[in-house]
Amino acid sequence: METDSQLVARAQSGDQQAFAELVSRHRAPVFRLAVSILGREFIPEAEDVAQEVFLKVHHALQSFRGEAEFSSWIYRITFNQALNLKARVRFRSPHEDETVLERTVTSQLGPDQQAETAQRDRVIAECIQTLPDVYQSSLRLYYWLGAGVAEVAELLNVPENTAKSYLHRARQLLHSMLKERGYSND
Amino acid sequence: MTEMEPHDIQIDTLLRSSMAAPIPGLPSDFDQRLMRELHRTSQPLDRYRWILLTGYGLTSAVASAVVMHSQRLSWGTIAVMLVGSFALAATAPWTRRAIHPTTQHSA
Repeated sequence: METDSQLVARAQSGDQQAFAELVSRHRAPVFRLAVSILGREFIPEAEDVAQEVFLKVHHALQSFRGEAEFSSWIYRITFNQALNLKARVRFRSPHEDETVLERTVTSQLGPDQQAETAQRDRVIAECIQTLPDVYQSSLRLYYWLGAGVAEVAELLNVPENTAKSYLHRARQLLHSMLKERGYSND
Repeated sequence: MTEMEPHDIQIDTLLRSSMAAPIPGLPSDFDQRLMRELHRTSQPLDRYRWILLTGYGLTSAVASAVVMHSQRLSWGTIAVMLVGSFALAATAPWTRRAIHPTTQHSA
């Protein structure tokens, strides 16, 4: 199998097939990173980010010198693109969160417990949204999208220990925020 | 995540249950849509750039030739200078690639 560097070299000389292979290799992580930054209320926007990222990469491919890994380069572009979009959609009402609805309807809990759980989840979601972007992204990647620490580190372009400390710090901050709102057993 | 403190474990459990939701994916026609979009955005731009560049090159060449001729340079010298400039511009991309191989890793 060809390496990313070989595919990039072919794509730089105009081989569209090589570029298509790069897209196919990196589309899933690019989308996961975008969705982890934007949150589950903005999944269609994350798809737009993924498309924009590959269009940007295609236009900027000639300027890619290979000083960093291609994957690091594309994840950095994704991170910035998603943050830019997030700043623009911050005050827009999110799409209907069907995932929560589905979970509530199919749950085995009684109506009171369902309401309580939904309220708790809403509070957690609100608290998460006040965390720094890298913490939010780490939490969503790890707890929602099922990424391991290694994948979190790779997507955020940081060493694994840093990714671990992001998760640890995010949990600490969340604990304090939930405690203030009466959702902690401490 | 081996060295978790008790409150860390509590939050960990809470997050696992609170954030459990279907994992989204890209639509299956993402690649096709992307390639269509790529084709749509790059083709007219390339053509437009090419026309603009050619027009600019020709206008510059004619203007330079007129100015140089007014300075009493012979048409032969002017032709050599213009062809030389075009040859230099044409070989620039190859020269750049030879000097800076684009996919070599620095690490």
